[in-house]
Amino acid sequence: MAECNTAVAQIDLTKVKPYGDTLNDGMTEVAFTLPVPYGDEANEAAKILAKKMGLDEPNVVYAKEMTKEYTFFVVYGKCQHTVDYTTIKVAKVEVDVMDRLECAEYIKENIKRPVVIVGASTGTDAHTVGIDAIMNMKGFHGHFGLERYEGIEAYNYGSQVPNEDLIAHAKELNADAILVSQTVTQKDIHIQNLTNMVELLEAEGMRDKVILVCGGPRISHELAQELGYDAGFGQHKYAEDVASFVLTEIVNRGMV
Amino acid sequence: MCLLERLAENYKRISIVGMAKNAGKTTALNYLIEEAMDEGLTLGITSTGRDGEGTDVVTGTEKPRVYLDTDTIVSVPKQLYELADAGLEILEETPYGTALGQILLCRVADAGYVQVAGPVINTQHIQMCEEMLALGADLVLIDGAIDRKTIAAPDISDAIILSTGAVLSRKLDRVVEGTAYTVELYSLPVLEDGMERDIIREHAESDRVFIVKNGKAVTLNITTGLGSGKLLDNAIDEEVTHVFVPGAFTQSVVADIDRRKLKATTFVLKDPTKIFIDKATWGRLRKSGLTVKVLENITVAAITVNPTSPAGYSFDHGEMASAMQKAVPDIPVIDVMMA
Repeated sequence: MAECNTAVAQIDLTKVKPYGDTLNDGMTEVAFTLPVPYGDEANEAAKILAKKMGLDEPNVVYAKEMTKEYTFFVVYGKCQHTVDYTTIKVAKVEVDVMDRLECAEYIKENIKRPVVIVGASTGTDAHTVGIDAIMNMKGFHGHFGLERYEGIEAYNYGSQVPNEDLIAHAKELNADAILVSQTVTQKDIHIQNLTNMVELLEAEGMRDKVILVCGGPRISHELAQELGYDAGFGQHKYAEDVASFVLTEIVNRGMV
Repeated sequence: MCLLERLAENYKRISIVGMAKNAGKTTALNYLIEEAMDEGLTLGITSTGRDGEGTDVVTGTEKPRVYLDTDTIVSVPKQLYELADAGLEILEETPYGTALGQILLCRVADAGYVQVAGPVINTQHIQMCEEMLALGADLVLIDGAIDRKTIAAPDISDAIILSTGAVLSRKLDRVVEGTAYTVELYSLPVLEDGMERDIIREHAESDRVFIVKNGKAVTLNITTGLGSGKLLDNAIDEEVTHVFVPGAFTQSVVADIDRRKLKATTFVLKDPTKIFIDKATWGRLRKSGLTVKVLENITVAAITVNPTSPAGYSFDHGEMASAMQKAVPDIPVIDVMMA
Protein backbone atom coordinates (compact mmCIF):
# COMPACT_ATOMS: atom_id res chain seq x y z
CA MET A 1 0.00 0.00 0.00
CA ALA A 2 1.24 3.49 -0.84
CA GLU A 3 2.60 5.81 1.84
CA CYS A 4 0.15 8.29 3.16
CA ASN A 5 0.69 11.36 5.29
CA THR A 6 -2.31 10.93 7.55
CA ALA A 7 -1.75 9.91 11.15
CA VAL A 8 -3.07 6.42 10.62
CA ALA A 9 -3.50 5.52 7.01
CA GLN A 10 -5.26 2.20 7.21
CA ILE A 11 -8.87 1.73 8.10
CA ASP A 12 -9.12 -0.90 10.79
CA LEU A 13 -12.75 -2.01 10.89
CA THR A 14 -12.24 -3.62 14.28
CA LYS A 15 -11.37 -0.20 15.74
CA VAL A 16 -13.51 2.38 13.98
CA LYS A 17 -13.55 5.92 15.33
CA PRO A 18 -14.80 9.29 14.06
CA TYR A 19 -13.11 11.01 11.17
CA GLY A 20 -12.60 14.78 11.02
CA ASP A 21 -9.56 16.17 9.22
CA THR A 22 -7.56 12.98 9.13
CA LEU A 23 -8.47 9.35 9.53
CA ASN A 24 -8.93 8.24 13.13
CA ASP A 25 -8.46 11.70 14.62
CA GLY A 26 -11.70 11.08 16.49
CA MET A 27 -13.11 14.55 15.90
CA THR A 28 -16.63 14.75 17.26
CA GLU A 29 -19.18 17.49 17.70
CA VAL A 30 -21.77 17.37 20.44
CA ALA A 31 -24.52 19.80 21.37
CA PHE A 32 -26.36 20.02 24.67
CA THR A 33 -27.94 22.37 27.19
CA LEU A 34 -26.99 22.62 30.87
CA PRO A 35 -29.19 24.17 33.54
CA VAL A 36 -26.48 26.65 34.59
CA PRO A 37 -26.08 30.40 33.99
CA TYR A 38 -24.03 31.48 30.97
CA GLY A 39 -20.41 32.25 31.83
CA ASP A 40 -16.90 30.87 32.31
CA GLU A 41 -18.05 28.36 34.89
CA ALA A 42 -20.64 27.09 32.44
CA ASN A 43 -18.00 26.59 29.74
CA GLU A 44 -15.84 24.71 32.21
CA ALA A 45 -18.78 22.52 33.17
CA ALA A 46 -19.39 21.71 29.50
CA LYS A 47 -15.73 20.78 29.03
CA ILE A 48 -15.70 18.52 32.08
CA LEU A 49 -18.86 16.82 30.87
CA ALA A 50 -17.40 16.33 27.39
CA LYS A 51 -14.30 14.75 28.95
CA LYS A 52 -16.55 12.37 30.86
CA MET A 53 -18.22 11.50 27.54
CA GLY A 54 -14.84 10.34 26.35
CA LEU A 55 -13.89 13.40 24.32
CA ASP A 56 -10.25 14.39 24.64
CA GLU A 57 -9.18 18.03 24.39
CA PRO A 58 -12.74 19.36 24.55
CA ASN A 59 -13.22 22.75 22.99
CA VAL A 60 -16.37 24.81 23.56
CA VAL A 61 -16.83 26.44 20.18
CA TYR A 62 -20.21 27.93 20.87
CA ALA A 63 -22.13 28.85 24.02
CA LYS A 64 -25.38 30.81 24.24
CA GLU A 65 -27.74 31.70 27.02
CA MET A 66 -31.03 29.96 26.16
CA THR A 67 -32.98 31.68 28.89
CA LYS A 68 -31.95 32.75 32.35
CA GLU A 69 -29.99 29.99 34.10
CA TYR A 70 -29.73 27.79 30.99
CA THR A 71 -26.85 27.62 28.54
CA PHE A 72 -26.58 25.83 25.22
CA PHE A 73 -23.19 24.50 24.05
CA VAL A 74 -21.53 23.11 21.00
CA VAL A 75 -18.37 21.25 21.95
CA TYR A 76 -15.67 19.68 19.77
CA GLY A 77 -13.38 16.99 21.04
CA LYS A 78 -11.45 13.87 20.09
CA CYS A 79 -13.36 10.70 20.76
CA GLN A 80 -11.25 8.16 22.62
CA HIS A 81 -13.51 5.22 22.00
CA THR A 82 -13.59 2.82 19.10
CA VAL A 83 -16.17 0.40 17.78
CA ASP A 84 -15.55 -3.07 16.42
CA TYR A 85 -17.57 -2.81 13.21
CA THR A 86 -16.86 -6.40 12.17
CA THR A 87 -18.84 -7.91 15.06
CA ILE A 88 -21.99 -5.84 14.56
CA LYS A 89 -25.12 -7.71 13.66
CA VAL A 90 -28.44 -5.97 13.14
CA ALA A 91 -31.73 -7.82 12.93
CA LYS A 92 -33.57 -7.00 9.73
CA VAL A 93 -36.89 -7.95 8.27
CA GLU A 94 -36.13 -10.99 6.15
CA VAL A 95 -38.50 -10.35 3.29
CA ASP A 96 -38.00 -9.61 -0.38
CA VAL A 97 -39.50 -6.17 -0.84
CA MET A 98 -42.06 -5.97 -3.62
CA ASP A 99 -43.19 -2.69 -5.15
CA ARG A 100 -46.83 -1.57 -5.23
CA LEU A 101 -47.70 -3.35 -8.47
CA GLU A 102 -45.89 -6.53 -7.49
CA CYS A 103 -47.85 -6.50 -4.20
CA ALA A 104 -51.12 -6.30 -6.15
CA GLU A 105 -49.99 -9.18 -8.32
CA TYR A 106 -48.93 -11.19 -5.24
CA ILE A 107 -52.37 -10.71 -3.67
CA LYS A 108 -54.11 -11.84 -6.87
CA GLU A 109 -51.97 -14.92 -7.19
CA ASN A 110 -51.49 -16.04 -3.61
CA ILE A 111 -54.16 -14.54 -1.39
CA LYS A 112 -57.09 -14.18 -3.81
CA ARG A 113 -59.15 -11.91 -1.55
CA PRO A 114 -58.90 -8.34 -0.28
CA VAL A 115 -56.37 -7.83 2.50
CA VAL A 116 -57.64 -5.66 5.36
CA ILE A 117 -55.12 -3.52 7.20
CA VAL A 118 -56.03 -1.17 10.06
CA GLY A 119 -53.65 1.35 11.54
CA ALA A 120 -53.39 4.25 13.97
CA SER A 121 -51.11 6.27 16.11
CA THR A 122 -52.13 4.96 19.51
CA GLY A 123 -52.23 6.07 23.12
CA THR A 124 -51.23 9.63 23.90
CA ASP A 125 -49.29 10.07 20.67
CA ALA A 126 -50.85 12.88 18.63
CA HIS A 127 -48.51 12.53 15.65
CA THR A 128 -49.93 11.09 12.47
CA VAL A 129 -46.89 11.65 10.27
CA GLY A 130 -45.71 8.05 10.63
CA ILE A 131 -48.97 6.23 10.03
CA ASP A 132 -49.91 8.69 7.25
CA ALA A 133 -46.61 8.07 5.49
CA ILE A 134 -47.39 4.36 5.36
CA MET A 135 -51.15 4.39 4.83
CA ASN A 136 -52.30 7.60 3.12
CA MET A 137 -52.82 7.50 -0.59
CA LYS A 138 -50.21 10.14 -1.37
CA GLY A 139 -47.64 8.39 0.78
CA PHE A 140 -44.27 9.87 1.59
CA HIS A 141 -41.07 10.70 -0.23
CA GLY A 142 -42.35 9.42 -3.54
CA HIS A 143 -43.62 6.16 -2.09
CA PHE A 144 -47.40 5.79 -2.36
CA GLY A 145 -49.27 4.65 0.74
CA LEU A 146 -51.29 1.47 1.30
CA GLU A 147 -54.57 3.19 0.35
CA ARG A 148 -53.37 3.19 -3.23
CA TYR A 149 -52.53 -0.51 -3.27
CA GLU A 150 -54.84 -2.68 -5.32
CA GLY A 151 -56.17 -5.54 -3.23
CA ILE A 152 -55.51 -3.82 0.09
CA GLU A 153 -58.30 -2.22 2.11
CA ALA A 154 -56.50 0.26 4.35
CA TYR A 155 -58.18 1.96 7.30
CA ASN A 156 -56.26 4.76 8.97
CA TYR A 157 -57.84 5.82 12.26
CA GLY A 158 -55.53 8.76 12.90
CA SER A 159 -53.94 9.72 16.18
CA GLN A 160 -54.51 9.27 19.91
CA VAL A 161 -56.55 6.14 19.33
CA PRO A 162 -56.91 4.01 22.45
CA ASN A 163 -55.60 0.46 21.96
CA GLU A 164 -59.03 -0.89 22.85
CA ASP A 165 -60.69 1.09 20.06
CA LEU A 166 -58.20 -0.03 17.45
CA ILE A 167 -58.74 -3.64 18.52
CA ALA A 168 -62.51 -3.22 18.33
CA HIS A 169 -62.15 -1.83 14.78
CA ALA A 170 -59.85 -4.69 13.80
CA LYS A 171 -62.28 -7.24 15.17
CA GLU A 172 -65.22 -5.66 13.41
CA LEU A 173 -63.43 -5.56 10.05
CA ASN A 174 -61.83 -8.95 10.57
CA ALA A 175 -58.49 -7.29 9.84
CA ASP A 176 -55.47 -9.26 8.65
CA ALA A 177 -52.97 -6.81 10.06
CA ILE A 178 -52.79 -4.06 12.65
CA LEU A 179 -50.25 -1.26 12.23
CA VAL A 180 -49.36 0.69 15.35
CA SER A 181 -47.41 3.90 15.05
CA GLN A 182 -45.53 5.66 17.84
CA THR A 183 -43.78 8.82 16.72
CA VAL A 184 -42.98 11.08 19.62
CA THR A 185 -43.24 9.88 23.17
CA GLN A 186 -41.58 10.75 26.44
CA LYS A 187 -39.97 8.60 29.09
CA ASP A 188 -40.50 5.38 27.14
CA ILE A 189 -44.28 5.58 27.53
CA HIS A 190 -44.48 4.15 23.99
CA ILE A 191 -43.06 0.91 25.32
CA GLN A 192 -45.88 0.46 27.83
CA ASN A 193 -48.45 1.48 25.26
CA LEU A 194 -47.08 -1.02 22.74
CA THR A 195 -46.97 -3.92 25.20
CA ASN A 196 -50.47 -3.03 26.39
CA MET A 197 -51.65 -3.53 22.79
CA VAL A 198 -50.06 -6.98 22.61
CA GLU A 199 -51.51 -8.00 25.95
CA LEU A 200 -55.01 -6.83 25.06
CA LEU A 201 -54.84 -8.79 21.80
CA GLU A 202 -53.70 -11.89 23.67
CA ALA A 203 -56.51 -11.48 26.18
CA GLU A 204 -59.02 -11.05 23.35
CA GLY A 205 -57.72 -14.27 21.80
CA MET A 206 -56.80 -12.38 18.62
CA ARG A 207 -53.02 -12.30 18.73
CA ASP A 208 -52.52 -15.41 16.62
CA LYS A 209 -55.15 -14.26 14.12
CA VAL A 210 -53.56 -10.93 13.14
CA ILE A 211 -50.20 -9.74 11.94
CA LEU A 212 -49.05 -7.10 14.36
CA VAL A 213 -46.62 -4.47 13.17
CA CYS A 214 -45.21 -1.45 14.96
CA GLY A 215 -43.41 1.52 13.50
CA GLY A 216 -41.77 4.77 14.43
CA PRO A 217 -38.40 6.48 14.59
CA ARG A 218 -37.46 4.69 17.81
CA ILE A 219 -38.70 1.28 16.74
CA SER A 220 -36.37 -1.41 15.49
CA HIS A 221 -36.89 -4.99 14.49
CA GLU A 222 -35.05 -6.17 17.59
CA LEU A 223 -37.31 -4.09 19.80
CA ALA A 224 -40.34 -5.58 18.05
CA GLN A 225 -39.32 -9.05 19.27
CA GLU A 226 -39.02 -7.77 22.84
CA LEU A 227 -42.38 -6.04 22.62
CA GLY A 228 -44.15 -9.05 21.13
CA TYR A 229 -44.73 -7.70 17.61
CA ASP A 230 -44.23 -9.60 14.38
CA ALA A 231 -42.15 -6.82 12.89
CA GLY A 232 -40.93 -3.33 13.62
CA PHE A 233 -40.19 -0.66 11.05
CA GLY A 234 -37.96 2.32 11.77
CA GLN A 235 -36.90 5.26 9.70
CA HIS A 236 -36.48 5.01 5.91
CA LYS A 237 -39.13 2.32 5.59
CA TYR A 238 -42.10 2.85 3.33
CA ALA A 239 -45.49 1.34 2.48
CA GLU A 240 -43.93 -1.29 0.21
CA ASP A 241 -41.73 -2.58 3.05
CA VAL A 242 -44.75 -2.94 5.33
CA ALA A 243 -47.02 -4.36 2.62
CA SER A 244 -44.41 -6.90 1.48
CA PHE A 245 -43.97 -8.12 5.04
CA VAL A 246 -47.68 -8.34 5.79
CA LEU A 247 -48.54 -10.12 2.52
CA THR A 248 -45.71 -12.63 2.79
CA GLU A 249 -46.61 -13.30 6.40
CA ILE A 250 -50.28 -13.90 5.51
CA VAL A 251 -49.15 -16.63 3.12
CA ASN A 252 -46.51 -18.05 5.50
CA ARG A 253 -48.97 -18.31 8.35
CA GLY A 254 -51.64 -19.84 6.14
CA MET A 255 -54.08 -16.99 6.71
CA VAL A 256 -55.08 -17.07 3.05
CA MET B 1 -35.07 -27.70 49.79
CA CYS B 2 -34.15 -25.28 47.08
CA LEU B 3 -36.81 -23.38 45.17
CA LEU B 4 -36.34 -25.08 41.85
CA GLU B 5 -36.53 -28.59 43.22
CA ARG B 6 -39.84 -27.76 44.85
CA LEU B 7 -41.11 -26.23 41.61
CA ALA B 8 -40.01 -29.16 39.46
CA GLU B 9 -41.92 -31.56 41.71
CA ASN B 10 -45.21 -29.81 41.04
CA TYR B 11 -44.97 -28.04 37.70
CA LYS B 12 -43.78 -28.55 34.14
CA ARG B 13 -43.97 -25.02 32.75
CA ILE B 14 -43.03 -21.96 34.77
CA SER B 15 -43.07 -18.40 33.53
CA ILE B 16 -41.05 -15.58 34.93
CA VAL B 17 -43.37 -12.61 34.74
CA GLY B 18 -42.13 -9.09 35.25
CA MET B 19 -43.95 -6.19 36.87
CA ALA B 20 -41.94 -3.92 34.57
CA LYS B 21 -38.89 -3.74 32.43
CA ASN B 22 -35.65 -4.21 34.42
CA ALA B 23 -37.51 -5.79 37.32
CA GLY B 24 -34.96 -8.60 37.40
CA LYS B 25 -36.57 -11.34 35.27
CA THR B 26 -33.37 -12.53 33.65
CA THR B 27 -31.52 -12.42 36.97
CA ALA B 28 -34.29 -14.61 38.39
CA LEU B 29 -33.94 -16.91 35.39
CA ASN B 30 -30.19 -17.21 35.96
CA TYR B 31 -30.79 -17.97 39.61
CA LEU B 32 -33.05 -20.89 38.64
CA ILE B 33 -30.64 -22.07 35.96
CA GLU B 34 -27.88 -22.24 38.55
CA GLU B 35 -30.08 -24.22 40.90
CA ALA B 36 -30.92 -26.61 38.06
CA MET B 37 -27.21 -27.18 37.42
CA ASP B 38 -26.72 -28.09 41.09
CA GLU B 39 -29.71 -30.42 41.04
CA GLY B 40 -28.86 -32.01 37.71
CA LEU B 41 -32.23 -31.08 36.18
CA THR B 42 -32.54 -30.70 32.42
CA LEU B 43 -34.18 -27.39 31.67
CA GLY B 44 -35.99 -26.09 28.65
CA ILE B 45 -35.36 -22.37 28.28
CA THR B 46 -37.39 -19.97 26.19
CA SER B 47 -38.47 -16.36 26.26
CA THR B 48 -41.42 -14.31 25.04
CA GLY B 49 -38.98 -11.54 24.23
CA ARG B 50 -35.25 -11.82 23.98
CA ASP B 51 -32.69 -12.63 26.64
CA GLY B 52 -29.00 -12.71 27.09
CA GLU B 53 -28.05 -9.82 24.82
CA GLY B 54 -25.38 -7.55 26.29
CA THR B 55 -27.31 -4.30 26.35
CA ASP B 56 -30.95 -3.40 26.57
CA VAL B 57 -32.63 -2.25 23.33
CA VAL B 58 -34.71 0.36 25.14
CA THR B 59 -32.59 1.78 27.93
CA GLY B 60 -29.14 0.87 26.69
CA THR B 61 -28.27 -0.43 30.14
CA GLU B 62 -26.29 -3.58 30.70
CA LYS B 63 -28.29 -6.79 30.85
CA PRO B 64 -27.42 -10.09 32.46
CA ARG B 65 -26.26 -12.74 30.01
CA VAL B 66 -27.62 -16.27 30.09
CA TYR B 67 -25.26 -19.20 30.60
CA LEU B 68 -26.69 -22.59 29.75
CA ASP B 69 -25.42 -25.98 30.83
CA THR B 70 -24.92 -28.94 28.52
CA ASP B 71 -28.14 -30.73 27.47
CA THR B 72 -30.39 -27.73 28.11
CA ILE B 73 -33.09 -27.45 25.45
CA VAL B 74 -33.32 -23.87 24.23
CA SER B 75 -35.23 -21.85 21.63
CA VAL B 76 -33.07 -19.61 19.48
CA PRO B 77 -34.13 -17.64 16.41
CA LYS B 78 -31.97 -17.94 13.30
CA GLN B 79 -30.52 -14.46 13.54
CA LEU B 80 -29.29 -15.08 17.10
CA TYR B 81 -28.00 -18.60 16.49
CA GLU B 82 -24.55 -17.56 15.36
CA LEU B 83 -24.23 -15.11 18.23
CA ALA B 84 -24.30 -17.97 20.74
CA ASP B 85 -21.07 -18.64 22.49
CA ALA B 86 -22.29 -22.09 23.53
CA GLY B 87 -22.19 -25.02 21.13
CA LEU B 88 -25.74 -25.57 19.90
CA GLU B 89 -27.04 -28.69 18.22
CA ILE B 90 -30.13 -27.90 16.14
CA LEU B 91 -32.84 -30.42 16.89
CA GLU B 92 -35.67 -28.93 14.97
CA GLU B 93 -36.67 -25.95 12.89
CA THR B 94 -40.04 -24.85 14.23
CA PRO B 95 -42.76 -23.21 12.12
CA TYR B 96 -42.76 -20.20 14.45
CA GLY B 97 -41.46 -17.06 12.81
CA THR B 98 -40.29 -14.03 14.76
CA ALA B 99 -38.82 -10.63 14.01
CA LEU B 100 -35.41 -12.26 14.53
CA GLY B 101 -36.07 -15.16 12.22
CA GLN B 102 -37.49 -18.68 12.44
CA ILE B 103 -37.23 -20.26 15.89
CA LEU B 104 -34.86 -23.22 16.17
CA LEU B 105 -35.04 -25.71 19.00
CA CYS B 106 -31.50 -26.58 20.05
CA ARG B 107 -29.71 -28.78 22.53
CA VAL B 108 -26.73 -27.20 24.23
CA ALA B 109 -23.79 -29.45 23.28
CA ASP B 110 -21.12 -27.22 24.78
CA ALA B 111 -22.05 -25.08 27.81
CA GLY B 112 -21.83 -21.35 27.29
CA TYR B 113 -23.69 -18.09 26.79
CA VAL B 114 -26.77 -18.09 24.57
CA GLN B 115 -29.11 -15.37 23.37
CA VAL B 116 -32.56 -16.80 23.87
CA ALA B 117 -35.77 -15.76 22.14
CA GLY B 118 -39.04 -17.53 21.54
CA PRO B 119 -42.35 -17.03 19.75
CA VAL B 120 -44.12 -13.76 20.52
CA ILE B 121 -47.55 -15.37 20.27
CA ASN B 122 -48.83 -17.21 23.34
CA THR B 123 -50.59 -20.04 21.50
CA GLN B 124 -47.29 -20.83 19.78
CA HIS B 125 -45.59 -20.91 23.18
CA ILE B 126 -48.04 -23.54 24.38
CA GLN B 127 -47.18 -25.79 21.43
CA MET B 128 -43.45 -25.16 21.69
CA CYS B 129 -43.33 -25.94 25.43
CA GLU B 130 -44.93 -29.29 24.66
CA GLU B 131 -42.19 -29.97 22.13
CA MET B 132 -39.48 -28.97 24.60
CA LEU B 133 -40.86 -31.37 27.20
CA ALA B 134 -41.04 -34.10 24.55
CA LEU B 135 -37.40 -33.44 23.68
CA GLY B 136 -36.43 -34.30 27.23
CA ALA B 137 -36.70 -31.16 29.35
CA ASP B 138 -37.73 -31.88 32.94
CA LEU B 139 -39.01 -28.35 33.36
CA VAL B 140 -39.55 -25.48 30.93
CA LEU B 141 -38.81 -21.93 32.06
CA ILE B 142 -40.37 -19.13 30.01
CA ASP B 143 -38.80 -15.75 30.56
CA GLY B 144 -41.22 -12.87 30.11
CA ALA B 145 -40.58 -9.60 28.34
CA ILE B 146 -40.95 -6.03 29.62
CA ASP B 147 -44.29 -5.94 31.48
CA ARG B 148 -46.09 -8.51 29.35
CA LYS B 149 -48.11 -10.57 31.79
CA THR B 150 -50.47 -12.70 29.68
CA ILE B 151 -47.95 -15.57 29.65
CA ALA B 152 -49.02 -16.04 33.27
CA ALA B 153 -52.31 -17.50 31.95
CA PRO B 154 -52.86 -21.02 33.28
CA ASP B 155 -53.08 -22.56 29.80
CA ILE B 156 -49.46 -21.49 29.21
CA SER B 157 -47.87 -21.68 32.65
CA ASP B 158 -48.53 -24.10 35.49
CA ALA B 159 -47.08 -21.55 37.88
CA ILE B 160 -45.28 -18.23 37.68
CA ILE B 161 -42.48 -16.42 39.37
CA LEU B 162 -43.30 -12.74 39.70
CA SER B 163 -40.32 -10.42 39.39
CA THR B 164 -40.59 -6.98 40.86
CA GLY B 165 -38.05 -4.28 41.54
CA ALA B 166 -37.13 -0.75 42.41
CA VAL B 167 -37.69 0.23 38.76
CA LEU B 168 -41.45 0.44 39.45
CA SER B 169 -41.19 3.48 41.70
CA ARG B 170 -38.80 5.51 43.80
CA LYS B 171 -41.11 4.85 46.74
CA LEU B 172 -40.78 1.42 48.30
CA ASP B 173 -44.40 1.25 49.44
CA ARG B 174 -45.55 1.98 45.88
CA VAL B 175 -43.49 -0.96 44.59
CA VAL B 176 -44.84 -3.24 47.28
CA GLU B 177 -48.47 -2.13 46.79
CA GLY B 178 -48.29 -2.49 43.02
CA THR B 179 -46.85 -5.99 43.28
CA ALA B 180 -49.30 -7.04 45.98
CA TYR B 181 -52.13 -5.83 43.72
CA THR B 182 -50.99 -8.14 40.92
CA VAL B 183 -50.81 -11.01 43.41
CA GLU B 184 -54.29 -10.09 44.63
CA LEU B 185 -55.65 -10.27 41.09
CA TYR B 186 -53.91 -13.58 40.46
CA SER B 187 -55.57 -15.05 43.53
CA LEU B 188 -59.12 -13.95 42.71
CA PRO B 189 -61.83 -16.35 43.88
CA VAL B 190 -62.44 -19.25 41.53
CA LEU B 191 -66.06 -19.83 40.49
CA GLU B 192 -67.31 -22.64 42.73
CA ASP B 193 -68.23 -26.04 41.33
CA GLY B 194 -71.89 -26.27 40.53
CA MET B 195 -74.49 -25.71 37.88
CA GLU B 196 -73.27 -22.22 36.93
CA ARG B 197 -69.68 -23.32 36.54
CA ASP B 198 -70.77 -26.23 34.35
CA ILE B 199 -72.87 -23.96 32.15
CA ILE B 200 -70.11 -21.38 31.82
CA ARG B 201 -67.43 -24.00 31.18
CA GLU B 202 -69.54 -25.53 28.46
CA HIS B 203 -69.96 -22.23 26.62
CA ALA B 204 -66.61 -20.60 27.40
CA GLU B 205 -64.92 -22.10 24.37
CA SER B 206 -67.20 -20.19 21.99
CA ASP B 207 -65.21 -17.06 22.88
CA ARG B 208 -68.40 -15.01 22.96
CA VAL B 209 -69.74 -12.75 25.68
CA PHE B 210 -72.76 -14.39 27.31
CA ILE B 211 -75.02 -14.00 30.32
CA VAL B 212 -76.44 -16.70 32.57
CA LYS B 213 -80.15 -16.16 32.98
CA ASN B 214 -82.47 -18.56 34.82
CA GLY B 215 -79.72 -21.15 34.68
CA LYS B 216 -79.30 -20.83 30.90
CA ALA B 217 -76.52 -19.28 28.85
CA VAL B 218 -77.65 -16.51 26.48
CA THR B 219 -75.03 -15.39 24.00
CA LEU B 220 -74.97 -11.66 23.34
CA ASN B 221 -74.68 -10.28 19.85
CA ILE B 222 -71.34 -8.50 20.36
CA THR B 223 -67.91 -9.39 19.02
CA THR B 224 -66.00 -8.19 22.06
CA GLY B 225 -66.61 -6.98 25.58
CA LEU B 226 -64.43 -3.94 24.89
CA GLY B 227 -66.54 -0.79 24.92
CA SER B 228 -69.72 -2.84 25.35
CA GLY B 229 -70.75 -1.43 28.74
CA LYS B 230 -74.00 0.04 27.40
CA LEU B 231 -75.03 -3.17 25.65
CA LEU B 232 -74.24 -5.19 28.74
CA ASP B 233 -76.26 -2.77 30.85
CA ASN B 234 -79.26 -3.36 28.56
CA ALA B 235 -78.82 -7.12 28.66
CA ILE B 236 -78.59 -7.45 32.43
CA ASP B 237 -81.93 -7.76 34.21
CA GLU B 238 -83.03 -9.22 37.54
CA GLU B 239 -82.81 -12.78 36.30
CA VAL B 240 -79.19 -12.52 35.21
CA THR B 241 -76.78 -14.02 37.73
CA HIS B 242 -73.51 -14.17 35.79
CA VAL B 243 -71.83 -12.41 32.88
CA PHE B 244 -69.01 -14.24 31.12
CA VAL B 245 -66.42 -12.14 29.34
CA PRO B 246 -63.96 -14.28 27.34
CA GLY B 247 -61.53 -11.51 26.44
CA ALA B 248 -59.97 -8.46 27.99
CA PHE B 249 -61.71 -7.06 31.04
CA THR B 250 -61.16 -3.31 30.99
CA GLN B 251 -62.93 -0.35 32.45
CA SER B 252 -64.86 0.10 29.20
CA VAL B 253 -66.54 -3.28 29.72
CA VAL B 254 -68.19 -2.25 32.96
CA ALA B 255 -68.13 1.57 32.86
CA ASP B 256 -71.72 2.04 31.71
CA ILE B 257 -73.38 -0.63 33.79
CA ASP B 258 -75.88 0.56 36.36
CA ARG B 259 -74.65 0.22 39.94
CA ARG B 260 -77.56 -1.91 41.08
CA LYS B 261 -77.09 -4.29 38.19
CA LEU B 262 -73.36 -4.39 38.83
CA LYS B 263 -74.03 -5.42 42.42
CA ALA B 264 -76.48 -8.16 41.54
CA THR B 265 -74.33 -10.00 38.98
CA THR B 266 -71.03 -11.83 39.06
CA PHE B 267 -68.57 -11.30 36.24
CA VAL B 268 -66.71 -14.45 35.26
CA LEU B 269 -63.40 -14.44 33.39
CA LYS B 270 -61.22 -17.28 32.11
CA ASP B 271 -58.30 -16.23 34.26
CA PRO B 272 -56.88 -13.11 35.93
CA THR B 273 -54.59 -12.15 33.01
CA LYS B 274 -57.73 -10.83 31.30
CA ILE B 275 -57.94 -7.92 33.76
CA PHE B 276 -56.57 -4.58 32.54
CA ILE B 277 -57.70 -2.27 35.31
CA ASP B 278 -55.37 -0.26 37.51
CA LYS B 279 -55.38 -0.56 41.26
CA ALA B 280 -57.27 2.66 42.02
CA THR B 281 -60.06 1.97 39.48
CA TRP B 282 -60.30 -1.63 40.65
CA GLY B 283 -60.76 -0.45 44.22
CA ARG B 284 -63.48 1.99 43.15
CA LEU B 285 -65.32 -0.63 41.08
CA ARG B 286 -65.15 -3.13 43.92
CA LYS B 287 -66.66 -0.51 46.21
CA SER B 288 -69.52 0.00 43.77
CA GLY B 289 -70.26 -3.66 44.04
CA LEU B 290 -68.31 -5.33 41.23
CA THR B 291 -67.72 -9.04 41.83
CA VAL B 292 -65.28 -10.88 39.60
CA LYS B 293 -64.58 -14.60 39.67
CA VAL B 294 -62.36 -16.67 37.43
CA LEU B 295 -62.54 -20.17 36.00
CA GLU B 296 -58.88 -20.72 36.74
CA ASN B 297 -56.39 -18.98 38.97
CA ILE B 298 -52.68 -18.34 38.73
CA THR B 299 -50.20 -19.93 41.10
CA VAL B 300 -47.51 -17.47 42.13
CA ALA B 301 -44.74 -19.83 43.25
CA ALA B 302 -42.33 -17.11 44.33
CA ILE B 303 -41.71 -13.40 44.14
CA THR B 304 -38.26 -12.09 43.34
CA VAL B 305 -37.23 -8.57 44.30
CA ASN B 306 -34.53 -6.43 42.71
CA PRO B 307 -33.81 -3.44 44.96
CA THR B 308 -31.76 -1.63 42.29
CA SER B 309 -33.20 0.52 39.51
CA PRO B 310 -31.27 1.27 36.32
CA ALA B 311 -32.32 4.90 36.91
CA GLY B 312 -29.64 4.98 39.57
CA TYR B 313 -31.45 4.63 42.90
CA SER B 314 -31.86 1.59 45.11
CA PHE B 315 -33.55 0.34 48.26
CA ASP B 316 -32.00 -1.46 51.18
CA HIS B 317 -31.89 -5.18 50.34
CA GLY B 318 -33.29 -6.49 53.60
CA GLU B 319 -35.91 -3.77 53.86
CA MET B 320 -37.36 -4.41 50.41
CA ALA B 321 -37.57 -8.18 50.81
CA SER B 322 -39.16 -7.95 54.25
CA ALA B 323 -41.67 -5.27 53.19
CA MET B 324 -42.69 -7.46 50.25
CA GLN B 325 -42.89 -10.56 52.45
CA LYS B 326 -45.12 -8.70 54.88
CA ALA B 327 -47.51 -7.74 52.08
CA VAL B 328 -47.73 -11.29 50.70
CA PRO B 329 -47.08 -13.55 53.69
CA ASP B 330 -47.92 -16.83 51.91
CA ILE B 331 -45.51 -16.57 48.98
CA PRO B 332 -41.73 -16.97 49.32
CA VAL B 333 -39.86 -13.74 48.54
CA ILE B 334 -36.33 -13.96 47.19
CA ASP B 335 -33.85 -11.15 46.75
CA VAL B 336 -32.18 -12.28 43.53
CA MET B 337 -29.37 -9.79 43.85
CA MET B 338 -28.37 -11.29 47.20
CA ALA B 339 -28.88 -14.94 46.32
